[in-house]
Amino acid sequence: MAVSRLLLLPWLILVASLGVTALLWDHERQSNRGELRAQFDFALRDTVSRVEQRVAAYEQLLRGVQGLFATTDMTNRKAFRDYVETLQLDANFSGIQGVGIIERVPSAHKSAHVAAMRRLGYADYRISPDGEREIYGPIIQREPHVGRNRAPLGSDAWAEPVRRSAMEKARDSGLAAVTGKVQLAVDPGVEENPGFIMVLPVFARGQPRDSVAQRRASLIGWVYASFHMRDFMASLYGKQVPGLAFAIYDDVDTTDGALMYRAGTVPGKRGTVAHDALSANEYMIVAGHTWTLMLSTQEEFEARYGRDTASVIAVTGVGLSLSMALLGWFMVTGRARALRLAAEMTEELRHMAQHDPLTGLPNRALFSDRVQRQLADAKRHGGRFAMIFLDLDNFKPINDNYGHAVGDRLLQLVARRLQDSIRASDTVGRIGGDEFVVLMADLSGPDAALGLAEKIREVVRQPLLVDGRELNISCSLGVAVYPDNGTDEMTLTKCADESMYRAKAGGRDCIQLAG
Amino acid sequence: MRVRHLIAWLIVLAWFGPANAAAPDCSRPFTLALHDHGLLYSADTDTGIDKDVAEELIRRSGCKITVSLMARARIWQLIESGALDFSLSGITDVEREKFAAFAWYFSNRYYLLVHKDSGVRNQTDFEKNEKLQLGVIRSFRYSESANRMVDRIQAANRLTQAGGLAPLYKALMLNHIQGMIIEPFDYPTLEEKKIRDVTSIIEFKDVSVPHGLIMSQKALPSAERAKWGQLINAMRADGTMRRIFEKYFKPDLAAAMVDF
Repeated sequence: MAVSRLLLLPWLILVASLGVTALLWDHERQSNRGELRAQFDFALRDTVSRVEQRVAAYEQLLRGVQGLFATTDMTNRKAFRDYVETLQLDANFSGIQGVGIIERVPSAHKSAHVAAMRRLGYADYRISPDGEREIYGPIIQREPHVGRNRAPLGSDAWAEPVRRSAMEKARDSGLAAVTGKVQLAVDPGVEENPGFIMVLPVFARGQPRDSVAQRRASLIGWVYASFHMRDFMASLYGKQVPGLAFAIYDDVDTTDGALMYRAGTVPGKRGTVAHDALSANEYMIVAGHTWTLMLSTQEEFEARYGRDTASVIAVTGVGLSLSMALLGWFMVTGRARALRLAAEMTEELRHMAQHDPLTGLPNRALFSDRVQRQLADAKRHGGRFAMIFLDLDNFKPINDNYGHAVGDRLLQLVARRLQDSIRASDTVGRIGGDEFVVLMADLSGPDAALGLAEKIREVVRQPLLVDGRELNISCSLGVAVYPDNGTDEMTLTKCADESMYRAKAGGRDCIQLAG
Repeated sequence: MRVRHLIAWLIVLAWFGPANAAAPDCSRPFTLALHDHGLLYSADTDTGIDKDVAEELIRRSGCKITVSLMARARIWQLIESGALDFSLSGITDVEREKFAAFAWYFSNRYYLLVHKDSGVRNQTDFEKNEKLQLGVIRSFRYSESANRMVDRIQAANRLTQAGGLAPLYKALMLNHIQGMIIEPFDYPTLEEKKIRDVTSIIEFKDVSVPHGLIMSQKALPSAERAKWGQLINAMRADGTMRRIFEKYFKPDLAAAMVDF
């Protein structure tokens, strides 16, 4: 019980230390995950904020243009050109494709408007697309007047639903508004180059504009800035956090048709996207319009910001747990093994103390002990037993002629033969050089003792093979019986001894019964 | 006798003196930002409760205040940095107490608006279902249990943030998100049939949360903040605030919000 309880100890150590390892691993994994998450949240917020700030900067620029028309007419082409030139739309504002003016033209004023534009030198000016509409919103000036911005004027922004929606919003709110995804009018044909337009309303000078109705009544046109999404994104300040894939979609629609910009592997598609990638959508509002920002981490992000301490803890922890358990096992079983060794040694010592080292038979002490026990038993139950003394005849010449080794071997063989001849309840011992003694328990009578003695005499007489040499030997036996020849050990021993000597004197190789 | 009278007058003057001096110091122009949020302020129409409150504040203080429109997250950033003096309809928390001061003028409860297909019947249903995404406006805080829910959902990577309410409604219609947190100002939107048909409302079991004028601690000295707070209190006391709310809500709801 105690040992089995002790054997539980290494298992307990293993379970406990593995448990601690698991706790640490889990904690570390979670804190690592939390850190990545915080980094990701920061990147998301940072990206949104960079886009918003850029939009705000462009809005501010456009407000400048709006402000210009608080001091001069919208048709003052030179003032507008000079103003945009002064802005020095350099690389810092490379996101802007162009800044322009849209005039609100009610159908009644259409022909006068076209005529006025033609007088300014735009000989083939016309409002496109053709057709009669209640209100027109033709682009009447684009600056800087270079490259693609030289595209023909007169394109009717009000006729195009996406543009019109933003223009209405700007008119009603008095604030900047951004259109949905559009193909810019200056972009020729099929090239897929998503863009958007920011518009600000221009109201007639001196007119009230405090309510929606007043704003609608005093609106005379819009100023706008047009952007290619690619250029706009390239003009953002700051640096995108590496290892992130992101996409921007128009409105809350995340289908391919609404895609405006994409950087890195598309979120949600296979590729270098990390196995347990973090991802998030954010609906950002830029000048009243919604863009969906889709951000997700790639492997590079985790490699850069993640720590692999959790797996280090796991491996080290499991290793240490196993070592500690093993150490515990050694300590516990080491004690048990030492105890077993001690017990074995004690047993061996006891055996050595009670047995003859040459033949392994009980020695005089053990034999005497057995005799005492037999005596007590016989006295209590009234039984009988016999003691047979045996001495080998002419043993000394064998020792002298063939050496002690042969003599010893012969003694061992005789001992075995003696042991094989007796019953399990009997004892045979060696009490001196070539002297043996047999205790025969539970005897029916002296005849049975003589019978056993005779059997022994015959067995010993059989030739013995020692080191390939055939040897012959005989023995003389003396038998004493309890209680017939004595009732104590000494008397019985003496009687058996004397009988044995009588057998020797009577010519050896024979048996003498005491009495 | 005369001396005694004089002393009495001095005491009376000293007592009422601060009331006269309660008008804020207008020696510099101030900035106030609105955020687009249902009846509080709609950029589309340039109208709303907050705009009316702002105009009343301008009228009563006699100060020049430039009113502009910003994302709520940016408003909090600027209030913290001191670049912005005021905003409206703010609620407080431990963080905000460090950089902002408030003068309360109404109080309301929060509601969880869920898509009917989500099968959500209460707050716990929503929290437990890992498939459901919650949409919130970036930097918005709510009542106590709503805040706890938002924080837990964010930790589970189930939060979708937005710069305003409009995209959240759209996303809820498209079932991209399954829930969002709303306030009484959002009721008119809910009256739209297409939204009402696919959603249901769950009330958070929290007490109503006071909303108020947000004042930047960095931009305004404590004494000035107290004066602006008194202006708000005066608006509540003389019924002006209630009249503003009654323009937008039924009288009983307006009263419930303003009298707290």
